[in-house]
Amino acid sequence: MNFKKYLKSTAVIIGAATLSAGTAWAECATDSLPGEMAKPDGFPARALTMVVPYGPAGGSGQVAQAMAQAVTDLTGVSINRDHKPGGSGTVGMTAYMATPADGYSVMEHIDDAASAHALDSGRPNPAEDLIPLVTSQITFSQVYIRENEDRFSDWPTFVEWVKAQDGKATIANVSKEGSMERVTMKFITDATGMKIQQISFDKGAPRYGALAGGQVDALFEQPGDVRKFLDAGKFKPILTILKEAPEAFADVPSLTDVGLDFEPLFRFRGFYVKAGTPDDRVEWLKWAFQKAYCEEGYQAYNESKFMTLIESFRDTDGSKELITSTIAQYRDVYKEMGLEVK
Amino acid sequence: METFNNFLGGTAALFGDPVGIFIFLGGVIGGMLFGAIPGVSMLTLAAILLPFTAHLSPEHGIMLFSVIYCTGVYGGAITAILFNIPGAPENAPTAFDGYPMTLQGKAGKAVGAAVMCSAIGGTVSCVIMMFATAAIADWAISAFGPPEIFALVFFGLAVAASVGAKTFWKGWLSIMAGLMIAVVGLDPVGGIERYNFDMPYLAAGIHFIPTILGFFAVSEIFVQAEKKATGAYKAPKLSVDFPTFKELWAHKIAVVRSIIIGFFCGILPGIGATLAAFMGYNEAARWSKDRLKFGTGQIEGVISSETANNSATGAAMIPLLALGLPGGALTAMMVGVFQMHDMEPGPLVFLNSPDLVWVVFAAMFFANLSILLVGFLEAKTIVNLLRIPFQYLAPMILLLATVGAYAVRGLTIDIVVMFVAGVAGFFLRRSGYSVAGIILGLILGKIGEQTFAQAMQMLHFEFSGFLSRPIALGLLIAGAITIFGSIYGAFFKKQPVPTAAQDDSAQSL
Amino acid sequence: MNRLNISHKIEVAFWLLLVGFFFYHSFEFDREIEIYKYGATLWPRTILLLIALAAIGQLLDQRKNGDRSSSNTMAAAHEDSAQDSEIGGLPWYLNTFVLLAIPFFYMNLSALLSLPVVQPFLPEGFNAALPVDDPGSGPVKITCAVVLFVAYLIISWRNHVGAILALPIFFAALLDDFGFYALAPVFIIGVMILMGERRITRMAMIMPLIFGLLLAFFVSLLYVGLPTGNVKPFYTFGNWIVTVLQ
Repeated sequence: MNFKKYLKSTAVIIGAATLSAGTAWAECATDSLPGEMAKPDGFPARALTMVVPYGPAGGSGQVAQAMAQAVTDLTGVSINRDHKPGGSGTVGMTAYMATPADGYSVMEHIDDAASAHALDSGRPNPAEDLIPLVTSQITFSQVYIRENEDRFSDWPTFVEWVKAQDGKATIANVSKEGSMERVTMKFITDATGMKIQQISFDKGAPRYGALAGGQVDALFEQPGDVRKFLDAGKFKPILTILKEAPEAFADVPSLTDVGLDFEPLFRFRGFYVKAGTPDDRVEWLKWAFQKAYCEEGYQAYNESKFMTLIESFRDTDGSKELITSTIAQYRDVYKEMGLEVK
Repeated sequence: METFNNFLGGTAALFGDPVGIFIFLGGVIGGMLFGAIPGVSMLTLAAILLPFTAHLSPEHGIMLFSVIYCTGVYGGAITAILFNIPGAPENAPTAFDGYPMTLQGKAGKAVGAAVMCSAIGGTVSCVIMMFATAAIADWAISAFGPPEIFALVFFGLAVAASVGAKTFWKGWLSIMAGLMIAVVGLDPVGGIERYNFDMPYLAAGIHFIPTILGFFAVSEIFVQAEKKATGAYKAPKLSVDFPTFKELWAHKIAVVRSIIIGFFCGILPGIGATLAAFMGYNEAARWSKDRLKFGTGQIEGVISSETANNSATGAAMIPLLALGLPGGALTAMMVGVFQMHDMEPGPLVFLNSPDLVWVVFAAMFFANLSILLVGFLEAKTIVNLLRIPFQYLAPMILLLATVGAYAVRGLTIDIVVMFVAGVAGFFLRRSGYSVAGIILGLILGKIGEQTFAQAMQMLHFEFSGFLSRPIALGLLIAGAITIFGSIYGAFFKKQPVPTAAQDDSAQSL
Repeated sequence: MNRLNISHKIEVAFWLLLVGFFFYHSFEFDREIEIYKYGATLWPRTILLLIALAAIGQLLDQRKNGDRSSSNTMAAAHEDSAQDSEIGGLPWYLNTFVLLAIPFFYMNLSALLSLPVVQPFLPEGFNAALPVDDPGSGPVKITCAVVLFVAYLIISWRNHVGAILALPIFFAALLDDFGFYALAPVFIIGVMILMGERRITRMAMIMPLIFGLLLAFFVSLLYVGLPTGNVKPFYTFGNWIVTVLQ
């Protein structure tokens, strides 16, 4: 089915990447940056600390590992990762804001920081209280069903089946109210008029297990996280939550294809330093992280996580723009949902 | 036959590679050491090592963690017996009888029993694991959904409430207190902050590792410090007098029973070895002629608990490898090891990397056997920790516990929680409440609430939905019978007058 | 037959107060979640109800049977749990309570410094939020820590057990600001003294030994990142040690 097709196109992308690897990733976003930059007044004189507000195993932990490695490969400066998971990223953020703004502490964070600020402006605004060094992953979500499902086979039949169940159909989703995943599901149910019970799972593995084991009828997720299940032919996407389908998922309908009209929300992961850090240090960090984005190892990692299907890179200004528009978008949605916006 | 050949292949791969042998031995010794040093546990070691596994091959990374798991569960028994400080929650019931034995000068017997039974339980379950993983995987993934897991948690709590505390009421109140502690943090459906009292770090919830360290390691230091202050401190008696084979043979039924209980509990995702140890202990107490002497230094208590928790290690690998579902904190970190190598544990692993699976199986088998060889040697050396004067041992344990609590999540709030739990444990020990029950409530509370919410969402908020899920229904009924049985016992049965405990060794936990 | 004694009554009062406290605070998050009609409160409130029932059940049982009520499998292990000790008595509990509260004063320093009572003693334009990048925050934190430590020493003078209970929490409360590397040596000495060691040469030998072994194993060998603190010069010192050891 479409699965084979996207495998093929992924293979093409990987093939192309391998070919271009010899010529140092000819088309990468930050190739115009200089290959070296003098350390401002000897900074950094010791290892950096990267606060990661999630555990080492998840998407954030892995991207932090890949980026830290790339920065070290590029600059020779080692980076200690300091995982502080808990409270949907708020705990790591609080701890990070308590470190001195001397440039030695940087932080990984995801769009949850923006949505948390949208809901409660007392929380740090990642575009103002922090300086984005680079946004290195931007991805979209999809709706998945089992490959061997026989009650429905694509989006239209799925919607029809769900409507026939009268609210008894189920889809596995995350356990954070107001998160990108839950807001998007609300967009979908509102736009299609279907009633579907979301089942909340806070961890990835049980969420995927629930679909694989037949406990739920569908799954909401980003493609990089379930790639293994896609490659093994266990899951298949039936809807891509983008205006236009990317080439790798050409056979999966996009929002436009099925007549859904809402602005898609993205999952993005990036790296930050505290506002108030001396400018020359910030400039060096920006260079290191943006340049590291194009390191071969990091690009290969992004490739493996389906992070190259849409443009994943934003520099500081681009990240600020992305964050600011995301905050505005969430704030509107929250008000509409009747959540208390502080 | 195929299984056997695979096993030989795994063994050859494991020992045919010098790096593999080195990592295997490192895991065996590291797991035992961290398990056996009071204040840290195999989980501390695992949390510390996790980032390093990125530099190992996936086979070596997973193998290292599974070896640490096997030997660490055994190692935790040593501190439970010698210091009343279980290395992990699954070792808590071991301390019920193990520590009184130390106070009676029978530490060697208890440690010897732990060595033997850990090795037996672990090895047998390893063999079952090799044969059963693939078959059980297929069945469990569809048979065990959130309603079944919730029912199992309910059953587990019902059983656990009758263990460890002085009375039925105190048992339940202990469990409930643990469940209430688990509520702090984010709720499992909406991520809404509960009971964080304007302290941002409390949004992370209260983790069970600092709580265990506080209740067991820290409060034990306080108790000893108090005895020092009042002049009641007695240095524990040393002995390396291991039990004879005959002594152990007398408890063969307890061993077999605990292997079975351990295996079936261990297989279940999310609960695993801790419930196994509690149930193993409780069933041993229920069927024993000397049931009222349990908790005063019965070797059968150590045997049943240690056999059960090691028997759960092999079983816990089944849902992990077959479904990608971790059974506890350590297996959850193994998922992390897989993911660091861009792999996802699950049915695919069997398909794509059978070599890895069999290297791991072989490593676990030999790790359990090595408990017999290295365990006795290690036990003889670790016992000597008791020779260190307490005024030097105490700061060491407290600082190790600090590192252990901090290493898991990198949050200083966890260190505060640990020491506060230490103070709470100090007072709770005099009260007849069960500290182990609180821990179990804390661990199962999070899983329980989440699976309850999921079950309700799946069953459309109708309790009658459980009727259509026979496994869940059966477990709920079994739990209810357990509860009503103990209520009946509490109110209507004539109280037997306890005859035991003339011994000055009795200790509350 | 009424066999209740005062400690039974205190016990049930404790549980019921706890239930009341948590029930009251459960209204802070009492709202429906769009996909879960039971919201965030059903589970904790059910547990609170069960705690209340169990506490009352225990009271009724004790009323009937006294301390011999409904023994469990493990009852024997608790036989001597009410052993005699130096602790006890209202003054002891009060003194210990104050000692245990000291670390929490430090943890809520900003809130305390914002109290109107404290305002006249503070310099003009002082930021009570104590932001880490404000150079004025560090000296204030150091001063407060020293003042609280002196208070701890004075209050714990005749309360040995209270002192050992409170010291580790105090240590933990200071870790975020002053770091593990600077505090641990002091903590080791403190615990040794409280455990009855008085020989200065012994302590001077053992302390570096324990600290050194710990650092060598965890920091040099295993690269564990322990808190370095946020207040200068402790922050600088902590990072210096880490750089040297790694």
